[in-house]
Amino acid sequence: MTWRRIGSVTDSPLARLDFRAKLTLLFVATSLAFLWESPLLTGCLALLILILNLLAHVRASYLSRGLLFLLPFFALLLITHGFWNTSVGHTAIWTAPREWPLVGGSLRLTREGLAYGVMVIFRTLTLIWVTPLTIFTTDLNALTSGLVQLRLPYQIAFTFSATLRFVPLLFEEIQSITQAQRLRGLALERMGLWQRLVVYSRLAVPLILGAMVRSQQIEVALAAKAFSGSPERTYLHQSRLRVSDYVIIALCLALLAGALWLRVTRGIGRFA
Amino acid sequence: MIGPEFIVRVEDLSYQYPRSASPVLRDINLHIRKGEFLGIVGPTGAGKTTLCLALNGIVPQIHGGRFFGRVTLAGLDTVETPIHRLAQHVAMVFQDPETQLVTNSVEDEVAFPLENLSIPREEIMRRIPWALRAVRLDGKQAKHPSELSGGEKQRLAIAAALAMQPEVLVLDEPTSQLDPQGSHEVFATVHELNSRLGITVVLASHASEELAEHADRLVLLARGELVATDTPARLFSQAQWMEQNALRPPQVVTFFQVLGKRGVRVPTVPVTLAEAIHTYAALRPAIEVRPPLSPPGSEKTLPDGVGSFEGGVSSRERPVALSLQDVAYAYPDGTRALQGVSLSVQRGEYAIIIGQNGAGKTTLVKQCLHLLEPAAGTVMLNGQDVCRLQVSEIAQRVGFVSQNPDNQIFTSSVEAEVAFALRHLGIPKGESQARVEESLLLMGLTLWRKSHPLSLSKGDRARVVTAAVLAMRPDILIFDEPTTGQDYAGARRILGVSQALHRSGKTVLVVTHHLHLMPGYAERAVIMGKGLILLDAPLRVAYHADEVLRSTHLLAPQIIRLAQHMQAIEQMQLPIMTPEELAACIRPRPQSPRHPPPGAAAPPVATGGRP
Repeated sequence: MTWRRIGSVTDSPLARLDFRAKLTLLFVATSLAFLWESPLLTGCLALLILILNLLAHVRASYLSRGLLFLLPFFALLLITHGFWNTSVGHTAIWTAPREWPLVGGSLRLTREGLAYGVMVIFRTLTLIWVTPLTIFTTDLNALTSGLVQLRLPYQIAFTFSATLRFVPLLFEEIQSITQAQRLRGLALERMGLWQRLVVYSRLAVPLILGAMVRSQQIEVALAAKAFSGSPERTYLHQSRLRVSDYVIIALCLALLAGALWLRVTRGIGRFA
Repeated sequence: MIGPEFIVRVEDLSYQYPRSASPVLRDINLHIRKGEFLGIVGPTGAGKTTLCLALNGIVPQIHGGRFFGRVTLAGLDTVETPIHRLAQHVAMVFQDPETQLVTNSVEDEVAFPLENLSIPREEIMRRIPWALRAVRLDGKQAKHPSELSGGEKQRLAIAAALAMQPEVLVLDEPTSQLDPQGSHEVFATVHELNSRLGITVVLASHASEELAEHADRLVLLARGELVATDTPARLFSQAQWMEQNALRPPQVVTFFQVLGKRGVRVPTVPVTLAEAIHTYAALRPAIEVRPPLSPPGSEKTLPDGVGSFEGGVSSRERPVALSLQDVAYAYPDGTRALQGVSLSVQRGEYAIIIGQNGAGKTTLVKQCLHLLEPAAGTVMLNGQDVCRLQVSEIAQRVGFVSQNPDNQIFTSSVEAEVAFALRHLGIPKGESQARVEESLLLMGLTLWRKSHPLSLSKGDRARVVTAAVLAMRPDILIFDEPTTGQDYAGARRILGVSQALHRSGKTVLVVTHHLHLMPGYAERAVIMGKGLILLDAPLRVAYHADEVLRSTHLLAPQIIRLAQHMQAIEQMQLPIMTPEELAACIRPRPQSPRHPPPGAAAPPVATGGRP
């Protein structure tokens, strides 16, 4: 699993945008997700972000895996809002029979509560899907220089990108250690939860040691490449905003401004 | 001896790592001339890497520890000058191509050190194509480093170093993880940079043949001390030094030394293939060449009718231990790693799987272990489909020792590590203890039973993992690149273990690039390339299948290439595998009466320089 396999750093129009344009997109999408409480609008927003992800060639399997992982959480959201969100819930679509102990007659599933739960799900999906859209479609070096252009100290920007680079390596390491354990007769598939936890805890020793060795190797390699973390350096890729970047930034900001104006003046976007 | 032409001066250097019990380097004195190609040789633990790191200040500036003496490079003291300033004069290439590539494109990788050195952008853009052209990677600017082969990755690391326009290029075991072709490419590139651009090269390696070919001078380190410094010709000819320090001279050196012992007058022992061909031509009038009546050492290399000398397969079939039938597999990114592979391994066989980086060797092994499932075809283990078995069940029948032992160590003592699997397999305590004792003894680890596995050397850690695998008493053992990063003695020790297991009736499969080490151990070679089996034949036949080897980036061992040259001249078959076998085909020509009797007064083998 490498960075390149999750996203696609060069072969889509979105990937070619400047990181600052993508950051604006991230900011506006996040703001809208919180500004709007309408299930319809948040649904459209989540759908838009999903389509953009697919256009940017972020792997559908990556997006769907995240969705599957969150399904239990979404079910919980629907249940809690559907039954207990009393601030919005008025119209009961189901009421617990009176003969049920404790909750009989009082436990109600409301249409508004369910709709609110759906809105929160769309909001969560927007926030989850907008991250790969902006981060995974950006070359790590472009990301670093983009952050530096935003006046973040180079050392911090580099540490940020180095950490992102390290994550897939860590996953590879975990996979290789688990494989080695299975090859030592460990039948994970036949183990109970507790036994599995004990096995996973044993991952820590080789993982931490491996990570330490690797980070020192990287430190040495960086030092040999004259890396000192000093801001006194030049850049091959100069982060320059092009017309397409200005257009995207302008569109995003206009959308946010428009949404704010409509929300304040016309109440569009309120939960109803 | 100190003069202005020296670019590196190492004076009375001693160094001890923090938390290390003894110094790694002791009283090293070494001066390196501008434009010199200096090779560093020595057994594992001799201090080669540390000496390399001392040249660019990483030792002691990053590692800390106790540093005595003085190292200057281009007149700069490597302790007092910050590493990034030293980097303007010295660039370094490391062993593992994976950990030294830090960016996401070939172009950015070359640019990164230049950006750090604040080189203007226009100059960076000028140097990138120049550096990539020098290592023959031009046109690959936009590629992600992960899309390159092992040899290309290492050449990219060299390009990044070269772009810094250093006066000194230091390379620490740059070819140990590469296939022979990749290794050849790296040495050829470094040689060209040295001879064409005059860059001083310091290269630590176990690759005797390549060092003999390219280095002007060699430094022999052992136990942290500088034992000798001399030309490759003189150093490799010193059998005593080679033996004492567990080093392997180039195969042609061994060949001519054995010839000398057989009474052939060898005026100067050659160290390279070209020199060997030249020396052989000069010796021809005084020698007779006869093909072996039966394959030399055939009783050892072709036992039990596994294969015949001619390459046919014996009719004496043994039960099949492992078989693959039309197995195909493609990775999610579309790489077709196996394309209809069929292979059958009989019980008690010792086979090697060879081929270029990315040929599909590891994928094939993973199929046998059910770590991957074939997209098509079947893999059978003792007649059972592996897809119907759990990995943990297979592990009890097939032991796997991977290249990196550190990913296979989970406990805090050697003993616990060996017992790790037994506990999970529900082996009774008494039997488990007996198996642990047996495995520790077999691997020579009894004295270290209480030690933390990670406190041992890499070679010893590999033995711990092997002991742990053996404790499960598998019938089949698969070793993945067991000799990578090992010195000659370490490699022989590991292969000795595999041989002992084979003799005890186990089936052994070894994935390797080190063809020269395998005669005497393996019987059969499976040559792979681009997901296909290109040739499956007895070792002797496979090693002489020059075209097949070259098609998958392999080179026959040096002695076989010499034998092939002799075959062409003498018009006879010389299907040998080792220097000793080739020497056995040659004897001094009977002298006319006015000459002294043959062999009676053969002069000692001289140790002259390169012609």
